[in-house]
Amino acid sequence: MTDGDLGLTYAYFLGCITPNRYPGIEAATKRIFKEFGIETKEMVGASCCPAPGVFGSFDMHTWLPVAARNLSIAEEMELEIYVTCNGCYGSLQEADHLLKEHPKLKERTNKVLNEFGREYKGTTKVNHSIVILHDVIGLDKLKERITKPMNDVNVAVHYGCHFLKPREVRGHGSSETPYILEDLVKVTGAKEVEYKDKLMCCGAGGGNRTADTVQSLEWTRQKLVNALMAGCDCMVHPCAFCHLQLDRGQAEMNKAFGTNFNFPILFATQFLGLALGLSEKECGLDIQTTTMPEKLLK
Amino acid sequence: MGTLYEDIVAYGGEVFGEEHMETLRECVQCGKCTGGCPSGRNTALRTRKLFQMALLDLREEIFNAPELWFCSTCFTCYERCPKGVKTTDIIRIIRNLAAKEGHMSVPHRMIGVYVLKTGHAVPIGPDQMKLREAVGLESQPPTTQKYKEQLEQVQKIFRTTNYDAMIDFDWDTMNLRGMEKGGKK
Amino acid sequence: MINIETPRIGVYICHCGVNIAATVDVKEVARFASDMPCVVIARDYQYMCSDPGQELIKRDIKEHGLNRVVVASCSPRMHEPTFRNACEDAGVNPYCFEMANLREQCAWVHSDKDKATEKAKDLVASAIGKAALLEPLERKKVGVVPRALVIGGGVAGIYAALEIADKGFETYLVEKEPSIGGHMAQLDKTFPTLDCSACILTPKMVEAERHKNIQLLTYSEVKEVSGYIGNYKVKIRKRPRYVDEQKCTGCGECANACRLRGRIPNEFDAGMAMRSAIYVPFPQAVPLIYTVDAERCLYITKGKCGKYPACKEACPADAIDFELLEEEIEVEVGTIVVATGYELLDLAEKPEYGYKYDEVLTGLEFERLSVASGPTSGKIIINGKEPKEVVFISCIGSRSRKEDECEYCSRVCCMYIAKQAHLVREKIPDAKVKVLYNDVRAYGKGFEEFYNRARKEGVEYIRKELEDPVEVVKRKGEDEKVVIKTIIEGEKIEIEADLVVMANAIVPRKDADELAKILKITKSADGFFLEAHPKLRPLDTFTDGIFIAGCCQSPKDIPDSVAQGVGAAIRASIPLMRGEVEIEPLVASINEDVCVGCGTCEAICPFDALSLEEGVMHVKEVVCKGCGSCGSACPSGAISMKHFKDEQIYAQIEVML
Repeated sequence: MTDGDLGLTYAYFLGCITPNRYPGIEAATKRIFKEFGIETKEMVGASCCPAPGVFGSFDMHTWLPVAARNLSIAEEMELEIYVTCNGCYGSLQEADHLLKEHPKLKERTNKVLNEFGREYKGTTKVNHSIVILHDVIGLDKLKERITKPMNDVNVAVHYGCHFLKPREVRGHGSSETPYILEDLVKVTGAKEVEYKDKLMCCGAGGGNRTADTVQSLEWTRQKLVNALMAGCDCMVHPCAFCHLQLDRGQAEMNKAFGTNFNFPILFATQFLGLALGLSEKECGLDIQTTTMPEKLLK
Repeated sequence: MGTLYEDIVAYGGEVFGEEHMETLRECVQCGKCTGGCPSGRNTALRTRKLFQMALLDLREEIFNAPELWFCSTCFTCYERCPKGVKTTDIIRIIRNLAAKEGHMSVPHRMIGVYVLKTGHAVPIGPDQMKLREAVGLESQPPTTQKYKEQLEQVQKIFRTTNYDAMIDFDWDTMNLRGMEKGGKK
Repeated sequence: MINIETPRIGVYICHCGVNIAATVDVKEVARFASDMPCVVIARDYQYMCSDPGQELIKRDIKEHGLNRVVVASCSPRMHEPTFRNACEDAGVNPYCFEMANLREQCAWVHSDKDKATEKAKDLVASAIGKAALLEPLERKKVGVVPRALVIGGGVAGIYAALEIADKGFETYLVEKEPSIGGHMAQLDKTFPTLDCSACILTPKMVEAERHKNIQLLTYSEVKEVSGYIGNYKVKIRKRPRYVDEQKCTGCGECANACRLRGRIPNEFDAGMAMRSAIYVPFPQAVPLIYTVDAERCLYITKGKCGKYPACKEACPADAIDFELLEEEIEVEVGTIVVATGYELLDLAEKPEYGYKYDEVLTGLEFERLSVASGPTSGKIIINGKEPKEVVFISCIGSRSRKEDECEYCSRVCCMYIAKQAHLVREKIPDAKVKVLYNDVRAYGKGFEEFYNRARKEGVEYIRKELEDPVEVVKRKGEDEKVVIKTIIEGEKIEIEADLVVMANAIVPRKDADELAKILKITKSADGFFLEAHPKLRPLDTFTDGIFIAGCCQSPKDIPDSVAQGVGAAIRASIPLMRGEVEIEPLVASINEDVCVGCGTCEAICPFDALSLEEGVMHVKEVVCKGCGSCGSACPSGAISMKHFKDEQIYAQIEVML
């Protein structure tokens, strides 16, 4: 499967969770992008984004130069960035936005970067992988290549928070009536099911998971119960950090609450990957906590 | 040190601009933030109350409130606030001020340790490298954890901004001062 | 009186769009009415109040020779005059019209269509029963004295007087205080435009004084009012100033000489500055005539002021005259405008607010502290220094459920707090200004903008619940401050301050009761004078010819008071311009053969409409409101009410039984 018609190249900002916990997300995304002629270049020397709700909560003046350093790597590559985590998206896009808005802040930040010869210029752009799927590749092209339609699958869409909000920075329209992920699910033939508190946070962000893991899992439990009650077969989302909370969180939850959750969690490109003909293994769905039912793999 | 409000405006203003922070004063205590707060259903976090306390300059009470750290920064209240109060950013700035005054839990400080050691809040280990190989990827991604000279740049940032001092990081043991290896007290 | 005419009744059932027709079978009611005795024609129609609806009545009167008309539609409050006029136009006496209320009293309050239709039939039958016995009545016309009285010389009263006087009618402007100007003269800058209150008011005060048609009666009070619209007789008590008004030049030598100089708190300055026993309240007073405070003057109270009254000795115009006596002035006027203003809730009676401390002021006191012409020349000084922490507290006694406080909103406080907070920030830039509030009601033109401006300028607004108690105590010690103790979010909060400004409630004047009795006007439950209709007759009272304006009706700001003053004046000018008024003929009538002259009715009449003449009671028809009190009280059954005669009411009942 090769098709070079788009002829685009992006710098892939990996972050932490994607490459270090869920390489399936990385593999599936790279494979799909390649399928549609989008070349992925590695960002050598990239670090943690760093987590916006975590480092942003402790010291903005540390968070910002670390993020700016990551941006400067892509600037040197003269490429736009794509991400597979709302945390990375939130962090890098917000940092880029703030540094463009406030020249003094840019000056102060560059002073820190200059110490090791880097500079933030403001010449790159931070994209979320699902926006590239939706807007650059497009729903029509995606639809053409669907080889394994998900016709009888009921999907609970989970957005995470920092993809949509704050909308004044993200620019994806209303944060209460989003459409991008819904469109990507529907293009596979699956049914996008409305469920209680669909837009609720997974519970992990802002240092909440670190502050009190069991408490944060209670949010996750509520979210998953709501999806199950609505008759969903799986949950599809755009965020590696949510993936950690929703997938590995189920094992932690089962231990903490004595439950036996095994509700399939898929990153958007893993779900699309299956519909586009990739195997469970190619999408790394065999190496995570929750297991995939036949329905999704047939 | 001024009032908490003044500190929020001054410190947060450096990053977001003062006007952004001054929206705190627009709070009319309607409670829409708290009503839609996913944390508030499970925790003691009451954003409306938090802001009232901030306006009343109850610095110690806020800094010592465990619920300050139960905001997941989901931005729901930020989007819904009828008076345009930049809620989530204000909460993050209050946390910054609290952290500067030493209100920071050990697990939160440990995140800094991981980043100082590897450049990642969630570093990779041998098991995860095998997982990468299983999906057909290079065993180690080309990030700071792989390249020492790149990691040093991140470490340099932490030194410049005194983040290392803030979490009481010991460069000799590469851990929190007074901690056993692995970060368990 | 025997009704010799054979009734020929037309009955009209109104659909009122769907208001009535959706719940009442109007066609069935019309059919039912057509079978009633004396009914010549019965119809139903979409909107009886419309022009075609009225035309229908007029045409039927002519074609069918109707002499009684019944319309079954809405409440008579709005459209009874409409249909009466239609009858009159077609030659039927307007009092031979009767109305049944099928909307408010039937359709709107019921849902079962069958039962509502039955009830509608009863209501219509009852109206027909009465209509058959209705008698033609004639409206009386009386002449109007082309003069007006305005009570109260605040901004509303001044504008009312100027408006009537400009129309060419002689106007008496009665003011209780030595000067006109009212509360507005006490204020500093006005919200939201920040123009100086005195600068915009004093020219109008002078204009009122100089107007050829206005006679100012200051230091005077209305004591008695009799008569009726067009012909009121008013007794005014003019207190002696002990200063000859013609001779006094306002030079002030007397006040300088007074032995009590600087020892009497000046009411105009809210007690924050001192005056003499002979004084003008403020330098721009109108009229600029000195007044001896009879309660303080040593010569009057003790009979001795040194060897000789110092003021008398000092006066270059020889104007001081301790022999002056109270005068009673009697005037006749056609109409009266009441604009007596308000008082503020007395905080001295509420110890929890700490009003006894020098650091605690009312909003009005703050005005005197801040105004350039005030005791501190506009410098905000408390205990000899500039306050650095200033707290305003809104809704003190307003919006309260406590029995001794007010349930209503005082309406001006939110904005004057924003203004005063702004003034503090302007005059003391490093002052911290906090506002403890529940809601901010910034409803007027430019208000929200001003409120936003105050917030932007750094005024801190801290929201508390209305129920959260406020207590102000003083903390002694080196750094002397007052401390506001309150509960916010269930937490006990203490806020330190150098100055606390209490926005205490606007309340009706204590003498409002007495004046209401003198004028025979009514008050609402809140104690303010009651308007005849809250929306459509906001300036009228239930007493014809007496109108209300400004804060005596309810708390309001300056523009609203001015608008009401002008509006009430226009209302009051209408009878003066017409020269005559029509009097409703729905009044009591005495059967002189039955009346024994016992006087029971005279005692009970709220309008003084009855008087005993040669052993028999007589009704002053122009004064009588037809309320019926006398009729129900008369032990001999000698009094009946025109248009509501016993037999008419019995007929209404009988038809329904």
